Amino acid sequence: MNKPVHLLSALVFAGLLFAGSLRAADQCLICHTGQGDKPSALFRHDVHFLKGIPCSGCHGGNPNAAEVKQAMNPKEGFIGVPKGDNVSRMCAACHSDSARMRRLGSSLPTDQLESLQSSVHGRLSISGSERLARCTTCHGAHGIRRVKDPSSPVSPLNVVQTCAHCHSNAAFMRMYNPSLPVDQVEKYRTSVHGTRNAKGDVKVAECASCHGSHDIRSAKDVKSRVYPTNIPSTCSTCHGNAAYMVEYHIPTDQFEKFSKSVHGVALLQKGDLGAPACNSCHGNHGAAPPGIESVSKVCGSCHALNADLFSASPHKKVFDEAGLPECETCHGNHEIVAATDKLLGVTPEAVCSQCHSPEENPRGYAAARLMRQLTDSLQSSEKRAASLVSEAEQKGMEISEAKFKLRDARQARMQARTMVHAFDPKKFEEVADRGLGVAGVVQVEAQQSVDEYYFRRVGLLAATLIITTLAVSLYLLIRRIERKQRGLNHVGRRT
Amino acid sequence: MIPFWKRAYNWIDERVELEGLVHFLGKKYVPVHRHSLWYYFGGVSLFLFIIQVVTGILLLMYYKGSEELSFESIQFIMSKVQFGWLIRSIHSWTANLFILAAMIHMFSVFFEKAYRKPRELTWLTGMLMFFLALGFGFSGYLLPWNELSFFATKVGTDIAGVIPVIGKLVMPFLRGGDEVSGATLSRFFGFHVAVFPGIFAVFLGIHLLLVQRQGMSEPLGTAKEGGDEFMTMPFFPNFLLRDLLLWLIVLNLLAILAVFFPWELGRKADPFAPAPAGIKPEWYFLFVFQTLKYIPAKLWVVDGEVLGILLFGIAGLLLLLVPFWDRKSSRGEENRFITYLGIFIVLYIIGFTILGWVV
Repeated sequence: MNKPVHLLSALVFAGLLFAGSLRAADQCLICHTGQGDKPSALFRHDVHFLKGIPCSGCHGGNPNAAEVKQAMNPKEGFIGVPKGDNVSRMCAACHSDSARMRRLGSSLPTDQLESLQSSVHGRLSISGSERLARCTTCHGAHGIRRVKDPSSPVSPLNVVQTCAHCHSNAAFMRMYNPSLPVDQVEKYRTSVHGTRNAKGDVKVAECASCHGSHDIRSAKDVKSRVYPTNIPSTCSTCHGNAAYMVEYHIPTDQFEKFSKSVHGVALLQKGDLGAPACNSCHGNHGAAPPGIESVSKVCGSCHALNADLFSASPHKKVFDEAGLPECETCHGNHEIVAATDKLLGVTPEAVCSQCHSPEENPRGYAAARLMRQLTDSLQSSEKRAASLVSEAEQKGMEISEAKFKLRDARQARMQARTMVHAFDPKKFEEVADRGLGVAGVVQVEAQQSVDEYYFRRVGLLAATLIITTLAVSLYLLIRRIERKQRGLNHVGRRT
Repeated sequence: MIPFWKRAYNWIDERVELEGLVHFLGKKYVPVHRHSLWYYFGGVSLFLFIIQVVTGILLLMYYKGSEELSFESIQFIMSKVQFGWLIRSIHSWTANLFILAAMIHMFSVFFEKAYRKPRELTWLTGMLMFFLALGFGFSGYLLPWNELSFFATKVGTDIAGVIPVIGKLVMPFLRGGDEVSGATLSRFFGFHVAVFPGIFAVFLGIHLLLVQRQGMSEPLGTAKEGGDEFMTMPFFPNFLLRDLLLWLIVLNLLAILAVFFPWELGRKADPFAPAPAGIKPEWYFLFVFQTLKYIPAKLWVVDGEVLGILLFGIAGLLLLLVPFWDRKSSRGEENRFITYLGIFIVLYIIGFTILGWVV
């Protein structure tokens, strides 16, 4: 600890020792109130004053001396108005000292300064000389109230405005984070949370509920509560708490469902930051459930092609008239599982059959059945081609070209699955036929490779037979020649 | 009626006087003893080299020696060209068997001390051809431009770069720049199909001429056992037909290897990708590679890798010049030191190759 902090601690400690007796006879307060200054008037309602901490607790000096020169004498420990980071250090002299806080009957946490320093506000600095935020930035200086006190600037009903003081100030924000929007409050006021908060509901989420208070981090910081992978658990702090949410009459199993969904698995298990979290569909500061009309727009912000095809399809008008949420009707909402081909068709588990029957809507029924048949054909054709490619590969054949084409077949199947959303059998058939054609070509090439493999073995057998015959003939020829030569003298002489 | 082949012979004989050559071949004999088997490896090496030339020329008809096309052209050869797979696989397998046969041939000559006077030049040309064969292997390995060959060439040329004094010049010369790139591929292709074959042909011509002129050497040991006289067999047709028989067996072995173990192409080289794990050079460089891995980074004040390269360089030079420092064998005396040295070298190469393969 450095020297000024020692001094500050001593001041505060001295102030506390005489707190009880000095409250009534605090000469600082007497004089300053007499002069009609605002801070001294505010301090009379301050939680610290009510706990018996005098002006000298923060400013130093001698609160018993009636003479200004003596009361505000630096030799008496007077430091005047603390500046910059010294303000937070002054607060932390008590608020980071758990023993002292216990003596004052407080159960507040004592890590606020540490949290503030590691927060985005603590890391940013003003001209490199002091941290961007200090305790008084949010809590005020002389009229500090308990957080639960409705008149506190950080109470649930006021904290939004307190944050907005800087965050809605475009000129101010430009200096520190020009890319950060400054319309959070406006959006918040349109959200379900914001409208309820404005009506005095202290339970609904405000800034600190999601971002934290002292330990606020940038949304890009992996430790932030609003980092994409942390958002679902942050929201579920309230939305997953059935007791807390009882009066709002909405389900509390969203997190559980989302975790099992294709989006949840991608985000929470695979760490795919491109996967949607709660805010991707509901908005963040303007969070609200998407209306029936906007569901496809929300899903379409990622699944653009599917949304476009759906909007141009005959289903669009029918869904709108029936008041059905577009994507959600077939795919669900929080628990969206990976779409399989089973969703399509006229089998009991297919979603098409929920509306289409051979009696009531034979055209739609036939279309659904045809699309499913084509999808199944595509899949089995691709599977057969892949199996032949794999067989040829395992046999050591060079099959890379067919393998590359197989990707086209897979691509066509993916396109066909997207084309389902046009609900147009003709267009679907076009794409499916292309895929079936490619898969057919791959099958032929892979089969040729497999056949070639067996041809090579037969060829080798034939070649081995010919070579063996030649070798045996040659051997017999050598023997015949050497039999004839037997008896001839082939003895050399060394020179 | 004179048979066609006789008339053809007469026609040629009239013009180039084959009589002398036929007489020479008729009088040429090969010593017969318990180590005669090793004589055949020279012929096998020659046969494998001929296969390399033939299959290499066939591959040249489709191969494209550039960074963008070499991998794809080999893919094309293997999948679209009739019997392209067979030609490429035989070329790759033969490359390895050629080095193996040449190595066996070299060590059999070494152990029999056949390099002794008067066959010093035969040994020298043979050794130079062996070094060229390694060059063929190293340059040919890069030509498919696949992942393994790319990084193995990187490692190999890195090693060349640490040769004292000339390393800094050799490495960019081999690579055609600071890094292994398309320029390296172009010059390796040039070395492989033009420079090396040209030099090799000259040495091979001299080597074969010397072998024919001087005949085959008889090991010192067997000379003692037989006294002044020794068993021989006529080179033509007895030895030549035996050679042909062995060549047929080798050809069949190659066909089996090509069909059952087709040479893989792997993945195309990506200079920006990280090196895959377990990069190793071809087996015939493995003992050098493995030794360099075991040498500490610093030995006193000398860089370990530099010391390793120097030692291998000196060992190669000593081997090349063995006919000139092994005076004992040249005098016809048995030199056990050479035998023990040979055994040590063979065991060292086998041991470190296995180690390099396993570790």
